Amino acid sequence: MNLSFEHAIYALIAGMFVLNFALRFIPLALLSRVSIPRPIMRWLSYMPMAVMGALVASAILIPALERFFAELIWFRTAPRECGSTTPELFPLFVHHEIFGMIAAMLTYYYTKSFVGATLAGVIVFALLQLLVIPL
Amino acid sequence: MVFSRNIELKQFRAGLRSGFPIFLGYLPVGIAYGILTVNFGFTPIQAILASALALSGVGQFVALSTLALSESVMASILASTIVNLRYILFSASLSPHLQGLKMRILAGIGFTTTDESFAINSTEIRELRASPHSMFGVGAIGWLGWVLGTGIGTIGAQFLGDLSAWGIYFAIPAMYAALFVALANNRKQVYCGLGAAAITLGLYGLTLLGLQLETYWFTIITALIAATLAVLIFPDKGDNSDGVQVNTDKDIKAAEAAEGVHS
Repeated sequence: MNLSFEHAIYALIAGMFVLNFALRFIPLALLSRVSIPRPIMRWLSYMPMAVMGALVASAILIPALERFFAELIWFRTAPRECGSTTPELFPLFVHHEIFGMIAAMLTYYYTKSFVGATLAGVIVFALLQLLVIPL
Repeated sequence: MVFSRNIELKQFRAGLRSGFPIFLGYLPVGIAYGILTVNFGFTPIQAILASALALSGVGQFVALSTLALSESVMASILASTIVNLRYILFSASLSPHLQGLKMRILAGIGFTTTDESFAINSTEIRELRASPHSMFGVGAIGWLGWVLGTGIGTIGAQFLGDLSAWGIYFAIPAMYAALFVALANNRKQVYCGLGAAAITLGLYGLTLLGLQLETYWFTIITALIAATLAVLIFPDKGDNSDGVQVNTDKDIKAAEAAEGVHS
């Protein structure tokens, strides 16, 4: 297919629309018309928690690990190479994502507010970003 | 019309309120998407259209980077679809709670289902606060944040500068953390969530060791393994003790009948 750039973008948008809608609508349309066997029900009822565990790990724990690896390499090489531009405020490994996560979790636990928890996480993350020299 | 009765509009508004954190989380990411697409050569209309019709955060970013690398529309659509295969699990998981509804409301809920709306709706289902129209409301407010963010990004591409300094890209991860706590309302669910996190970290470890696996596969592979393990490991006691809501669609139907949702 030889499309102009503009047409290519419209084709992309149309394709994403149709396929994304199909993925989300067809299972809903089909499965809401049949009664689902109990083992499948049990399986599906663990799905939200399984998805959230995966998302917490990939959005928070993996970035934190990557930061940890970067710091590990930095602490082993940089001070000797370029003198003392070490992060002086927090000489220990500080993980913005971990502290942001803890702030969000505690805030939700005590307030049951998703907005409050989201803001708490963002504020802690932003403060650490201000205080700690980013690598 | 989507709303045939007042009660449905009321539930929809309740959903808009429950989904407001999604709006907050999507706004900055939408702005980032707007900036990126305009720099890529999209017109603002095209960028907004993409967000309004596809409504798939990671999927849209992946489509864009695939288009940049391969210059193939087909490959880009395929890549975004693969990233979004997890939506099948989401809507399958919501379907027991949406039995026998009209197609238009199912279409509304389906169209607006994302990781975040799925998570909030699942939490509300568990707390018996969800209704079909509130679930649509949760999705709709997220859609608004995503489209509005994209619009702001396309217009403000030159002025906005680096937004990451404000930590706002942590809004969605922070929401995930809160949702994790919200869903972890009994021991089996906690183990399932922790197990899922461990599986994802394991997959990440394997990629460090050289496994060729894009990170967007992590969620779907993890969810399939963790939910299957949970069903196999935790015995079925035939009641709701493990957080499995076998009666929920009956409960919801009873609640709906009481409120007059079903015509």
